[in-house]
Amino acid sequence: MKLEPKQLTEFPSERQITAARFNHEGSILAAAGYEPAVRRWQFDGKTLTPLPSLSGFHGYSTALAFHPQQPQLFCADSWGQLRCCEGEKTIWQHETAHDGWLRQIAVSPDGKRIATCGKDHFIRVWDATSGKKLAEHDADEDVYALTMSDSITFGDMRGRIETWDLDLKKKQRTFDAAVLYKLDRIQDLGGLRVLRFIDDGKTLLAAGTTPQNGATPQSIPTILFFDTASGKLTKTVTHGTNKEGYIHDLAQHPSGCLMAVSSGTPGSGMLFLLNPADKEPFHVNTKMANCHSLALHPGGKHFVVTSTNRDSNGNGKSLGKDGQYKTNTSPLHLFEV
Amino acid sequence: MNPLCTPRDHTFSRRAFLGGGLGLLTSPLFAEAMKQRDKQVLFVWLDGGMSQLETWDPKPNTEFGGPFRSIPTSVPGVHFCELMPKLAKQMHKLCVVRSMCTKDNAHSSGVDRIQRGDPKNRGVPYPHFGAGVAKLLGPGSSGLPPYVWIKPGSGGFRAEDAGFLGPKYGSLAFGDGKPPDNLLRHPDISAEQDAARNELRQMLDQRFAKQREKRVVEANASVFDMADKLMARADIFDTSKLPERDRERYGRHDFGQHMLVARQMLEAGVRFVKVTSYGWDTHGDNFNAHAGMVPKFDQAFSAMLEDLEASGLLKTTLVICLSEFGRTPRINGHVGRDHWPEAWSIAMAGHGVKHGMVVGETNDRGTEVKAQPHDIGAAFHTWYRALGIDPMKTEFDNAGQPLPIAHDDMLPIKEALA
Repeated sequence: MKLEPKQLTEFPSERQITAARFNHEGSILAAAGYEPAVRRWQFDGKTLTPLPSLSGFHGYSTALAFHPQQPQLFCADSWGQLRCCEGEKTIWQHETAHDGWLRQIAVSPDGKRIATCGKDHFIRVWDATSGKKLAEHDADEDVYALTMSDSITFGDMRGRIETWDLDLKKKQRTFDAAVLYKLDRIQDLGGLRVLRFIDDGKTLLAAGTTPQNGATPQSIPTILFFDTASGKLTKTVTHGTNKEGYIHDLAQHPSGCLMAVSSGTPGSGMLFLLNPADKEPFHVNTKMANCHSLALHPGGKHFVVTSTNRDSNGNGKSLGKDGQYKTNTSPLHLFEV
Repeated sequence: MNPLCTPRDHTFSRRAFLGGGLGLLTSPLFAEAMKQRDKQVLFVWLDGGMSQLETWDPKPNTEFGGPFRSIPTSVPGVHFCELMPKLAKQMHKLCVVRSMCTKDNAHSSGVDRIQRGDPKNRGVPYPHFGAGVAKLLGPGSSGLPPYVWIKPGSGGFRAEDAGFLGPKYGSLAFGDGKPPDNLLRHPDISAEQDAARNELRQMLDQRFAKQREKRVVEANASVFDMADKLMARADIFDTSKLPERDRERYGRHDFGQHMLVARQMLEAGVRFVKVTSYGWDTHGDNFNAHAGMVPKFDQAFSAMLEDLEASGLLKTTLVICLSEFGRTPRINGHVGRDHWPEAWSIAMAGHGVKHGMVVGETNDRGTEVKAQPHDIGAAFHTWYRALGIDPMKTEFDNAGQPLPIAHDDMLPIKEALA
């Protein structure tokens, strides 16, 4: 089935957004980004209406995930805070769930547990209801991404991906995504951004970029397909030129197709839709610059892509029309499928 | 036995110092040795622009502050980014200027403008700071090449660094910190044969000199002198005999190992040692890039400060660390920071500068220097002053034309001077 997404409208946002997700009912959109707060909007099928933000974070809010069946929102910041909220109310909170930058949150399919990973090399598992820490594992490297099934699968800066049963403290599988890593001079270029299971867990996707050089990274959006049972790489999909950069977010539509957004050299960015059986996307939208997140509405009729304003870069002091130093923002693009 | 002392006899060895015990620090002999020792410079050049916000001038929890926390340093009230924990413990040795405001936001012109001190345009290329120091202070008692450059990649002689001073004062680059190819005399050539060849060369040089510009001939001869000195001190390139602990402390990455070679060069008495690290141009993925690179810088730079202090060399060595510019507060769509000369930081330590000092301040968003901004010309005045050279009284000689050694409308950063 080949979908044809159509953009309905665009909503402004005062800050840059790096992660956005709908709740299980699709009535709330929450977003993390370059501010110590989580923004929220009410969604009625046509319009995003701002709700009060969740404040009290530090540095930047970095990660969020909704409970799959309940209203709880799990969100985190770059100083290590992990919080569970219902609406504006905090249910539980750990100020230092990680030592510094908490990179991603994953929720188990039954919603009973959540897992977090961070720059402090740790993966931690928490009881979703109480916030009690259930298990932890030192991955000995900066952990960039993770996902949960019956077990936890995480990937680090160097493209080492492992599946662990943290209750038994036992490694179950290793996946080699070293192609997503490069050392350039003294810069470690970690290209992994997203881990997702598809096909009822039979296939693991590792998405991000194949780095070519450091400093101003030139790199090609990449998705690696692994057979979960054997750990073998079965397919590599790359799309775009080396200015297209990183796949920052990826979701599977209920129809089965993969939806990914990318961001590279300022001004470049893509939304592309791909049938998992194919090597080339069947739909590519390059009208949005530097896309960082894709929030798929439950049921799949809508989705939101967060991009970046087009003139986001420039050396020296760029002043806006008001004479103030310009900041960048993330327009929210609402699509109908 | 040769009754003449060798250049090495005049240098102060860290190993000898450490062997002598810390009590030596207080002895009159040590004080005298330090007084007599030549002033030296370590110039750490981070090619591109290190983000001031992820290093020396953090603005945590602000719009442009980035994801990282700040940490306290050994000087109460002064904070660094969490990516520099080792240097935070050594802030009491450092002088950080947070009020740099320079003119150029492009690499192509910016590198030269910064390294030449961005003087008034006199129609001639000014020397890099290292060349200026080589000219004004000479090679010192070690006799080793006065301006060496340890860099990743290839080496060679860069005459253009000397600008109007002439090629003699250019930088001698050691690619990857290695000696030039074929540095040592071929084993089939005896010392006598070598001396005879040199005599012949000098004779031919004299004939050559009669038809050429003096400074070109000088440069030509100086290359042979440099080679001769380096042949005698080939050991300064060899870090393999150093304790494993030292190699680990500086880091196994190339910047760490290059800094270790730089330490040996300073210990051997080289007047001016520049160390370059490339890749500090994070227009994309700035935070992950700094998360990887800054701790490596932190490791090597702090190990160097520790060792220079332990050997006493920090008393006679001016240490400078800077980039072409800083990086923009705003974060572009590629999660990068662009070039930002408007409000950035440099760090100094050692001879002639205050320790445990922060000069200047940026506003809460990091978008402006509060109060007095400092251009690179002011930094050049400061560095020359720190080395005991008064830019108000000292001039370069450009083929008979006197030229100021630093921007003639600028003044040193007084708060930074000891």
